[in-house]
Formats: sequence, C-alpha cells, structure tokens
Amino acid sequence: MTSVAVAANVESTLAQEAEHGRRRTIKAIAWTILAVAVLWFTANQIGMKPGAIITGAPFMWDFLTRMLPPDLSYFPNLYDATIETIQIAIWGTILAVIMSVPLALLGARTTTPHIVVFHVTRMFLNALRGINELVFALIFVSAVGLGPFAGVLAIALHATGMLAKFVAEEAEGIDRGQVEALEATGAGRMQIILFGIIPQVIPAFISYTIYRLDVSIRSATILGLVGAGGLGFSLIKTMKLFQYHQTATCILVIFVLVLVSDWICARLRAKVI
Amino acid sequence: MDGSMTETKTALSIKGLSKTYNGGITALRDVSMDVAAGEFLVILGPSGAGKSTLMRCINRLVEPTAGHVFHDGREITGSKANLRLIRRDFGMVFQQFNLVKRLSVLTNVLTGRLAYRSAWRSLFYSFSQEDKRIAIECLARVNMDHKAFQRADTLSGGEQQRVAIARALAQKPKVILADEPVASLDPKIARQVLVYLKEAASDLGITVLCNLHQVEYTREFAQRVVGMSRGTVVYDGPAANLGDEILHTIYYRDPDAQKANGDAE
Repeated sequence: MTSVAVAANVESTLAQEAEHGRRRTIKAIAWTILAVAVLWFTANQIGMKPGAIITGAPFMWDFLTRMLPPDLSYFPNLYDATIETIQIAIWGTILAVIMSVPLALLGARTTTPHIVVFHVTRMFLNALRGINELVFALIFVSAVGLGPFAGVLAIALHATGMLAKFVAEEAEGIDRGQVEALEATGAGRMQIILFGIIPQVIPAFISYTIYRLDVSIRSATILGLVGAGGLGFSLIKTMKLFQYHQTATCILVIFVLVLVSDWICARLRAKVI
Repeated sequence: MDGSMTETKTALSIKGLSKTYNGGITALRDVSMDVAAGEFLVILGPSGAGKSTLMRCINRLVEPTAGHVFHDGREITGSKANLRLIRRDFGMVFQQFNLVKRLSVLTNVLTGRLAYRSAWRSLFYSFSQEDKRIAIECLARVNMDHKAFQRADTLSGGEQQRVAIARALAQKPKVILADEPVASLDPKIARQVLVYLKEAASDLGITVLCNLHQVEYTREFAQRVVGMSRGTVVYDGPAANLGDEILHTIYYRDPDAQKANGDAE
C-alpha cells in the first residue's frame, strides 16, 4: 500500500473511533437516567424515609440502654445452646456432604447418565439453594417438632443444594486429558468417575465443605428464632421475656462464636489448598 | 532388525477411514494402511495432519464417519457392544501424559487394569495382588518402580511419560497408540521414551503406532513410516527413503495461495 493510502486509512479509523465515542456517551447518559428513575421509584415504594432514622433515634437509644450492659451472669445458661448450635451445623454439613456427592455426579454434564437427569437434578438443586434455611426450618419444625433436629435437616437441605452445585461445576471444569486416558484403557463409566474425576474434584470439595461448615454455624445461630434449636432459641426466648440484658449476652455469644468459627475455618481451608 | 523371513501377520488393517467433525472440519480422508504384528510404525506429519484423529478412530475415542478398522482379522469399528474390551487391547500414550495427577504413580499404572475388573470392586479403590504385581513389573520395565508411591504430579515430564507407558503396558495391550509422546520433552528424554516404546515392540511383540512430527527421531527410530498431510496418507515406505522431496510433500503440500494482505479500497 502507498503511504497516501495508509494515511487515508488512519484518518477513517480515527473518524470511526470518534463516532464510537459519541455513541458510548449517549448510551451512558440514557442508562444513568433510567437507573436513577427506577431507584427513586423503588425508594418511595418501600418507604425509605431518611427522616424516620432521626425520629426513631430515641427509641433505638432506649432499646440499647435496656440491653447494655450484657448480663454476664446469664452466660452459663447459654453453654448448652452454644454447643447445640455447633452440633446442628456439623450434622447438617455431614448430611449435606453425603447427599451432595451423588447429586453432584447426576448434575454435572461430564458425569450425568442422561441430559434429562442433568436438567432435573440442576432444577432440584436450584430449588434447594433458592429456599432459605429459615423457611426449611419452619417446615421441619412442624414435621419433626421443635428442637435441634429440625435445624439439622434445614441446614442439610440448603447446604446440599449449595455443595452439589459447586461440586458439579468443578466436575465440569476438570482436565479432560486425564479422563480421556482412562477412557482409552477401557475403564467403565463408574471407574472413570472414581479414578479420573473424583481425584480432580476432591481438593475443591473439601475446601468448600469447610466453608459451608462456617456458613452453617452462622445459620444455626438464628434457626432457633423459628424453634429449631441453638442460640437463636435463647435469643428469642429472652426477648419475649423482656430480659434485654440477657438478649445482649446472646448476641455477644453469637458474635464470638461466628468470629471463632470464621477464623478456624479460614485456617483449615488454607491448609487444604 | 531381525531381517529374517519370519512370517509377518497383519495386526491392524485400516480401510478407507474418514472423519469429519461436527464443525465441518475434515480430519481424515480415506486413510488406509496395514500394520504388521510387533511392528514399530511411525506416522509422520505436521500438526493438523490428522494423526491424532487417526489414533482416536482406532480405539474409538472418536467415531469415524466412514471406513473400517480390523484388528487380528476382526472388525472393531461399528458396533459399540464390546467397546471396553476393544479399548483394553489398545494402550494409549499422550503428548501431555494425562496421568491423574493427584493419584500415586502406582495407582495410575493400576488404572491400566480397570478394564479387567468389575466396577463394584473399583468402588473401594482396591486391586488384586495379581494386578499390583503386573503394575509394578510394568513400572520396573520403564525404570520407575522406585517412585511407585509418589504422587504423579511430583514427577518430571519425562518420568510422567514413562509412567504413562507403564500404564499402557499394564493393560497387556496388543497395540500401543502413542500420540506425539515426545512433543513436550527435551531431546535426551525424548530418545529415552522412544527407546521404551520401541522395546515394547521388539521385546514384548506389541504393535506400536507412534505419531511424530520430528523428522530426526523418525529417521532414528522407525523402519517404516507413514507420512500424512491434511488427512491423507502421502507416503508409506521405509524410513531410509525419506528424501527431501517426500518431506516436502508431507510438510508443504499445496501451500495456500498467498494473497496480498492489503485490500485495494
């Protein structure tokens, strides 16, 4: 090409670039106006009034003074509830681990026996994940009665949905070469899963299970609000009895429990990875 | 070379094999060849010549679009009924080794025994004493038995490829398909690996098909060479006859009509 032609090309590309820039600016302005309008409308709909915070401040202050200081003498009464909270979380997570392995294998494109099974499993898992533990707890309280077992089942179901989806996605993202090598040996489907896929998925599975245990402990602290055992039950009980200093102790214990579990689980995961 | 007049039996007979992938790319066009039992055959060609597809059509990791493959006189293309038993007879060695990285060296070799065992036994990751003996013998053959209990991902590339050969040998295969087995290895290690593969043919009587793109190794190791280019066989003969003209056909056949890059506007 001649240098004149090159110069002409550069000019026309520059002109195109300017045109693109103009279009981008117009688009950005339009989207901003739309977003502001929607957010404004939403704020009105859900009754967001900044004034309410100011007028409500004295009531908050009143509540705080009734809670503080926490009644530390109540602490021994929370000992059992704290242990129970951890127990709920551990058993819920264990059940989730057991249930999620087969579901993950059915719900991963690489291991599912049939594409229909894949879609049905994924839909089921989405349902489990979409429903909050508190909702599950409400259902199980009416099914198996008040107490920690309802909490275990609630956590188990929700965590199964999370864990199985995560493992299924891991199983889809593995190194195909290792699997192909096993196919080439004449290994059967189940053998390929056992020797080619599971070894590749295990580190992520363990790491995510520990993370799930941490999340389950947080959930277990509030499941008692609907009667499914643990610290949440003490929390709601003391509130209903207007023992706000004791409520504050509950909150304090929950806070410390969550901090400690977060710290331990983070260290465990760092070790695994 | 034995050079004697011993009767050579055809182990593998490929007739009119073609493969067109879903995307419309034709990887193989009417490929035919016969391979003698115990032969070490090099398939030479540039990347994209269809060498890998050819191997995968033989052990049916890829389904050929047309054509037939016969092994010891029996057709192995077509029916999916005995796929596991067919694959068991074909050990495969890969460019990227494809060991299961988080399993031990020994367990990787033991996976070569899976097709001999039922799924329920595998469920407990347990193998018979006999399988373990076979696996360790195969490891010893490639001088890797001293690392049997290490994890596969702790090994160097050359070591991994030797373990991969042991895995293929553990299948007690009739044929080994080696797909660019030395493309990721340095020359010294590459020669070691090729020696092990050649020994599989000369010592154990296994028919070995070895894909290579390096002319140098081909001249050094092969007796017979099949040259491939763009999915077809363009040469089939002794390695000694690989002259410049033949190599040119293999590597530079029908060069693209070079078009000037600039568009006249």
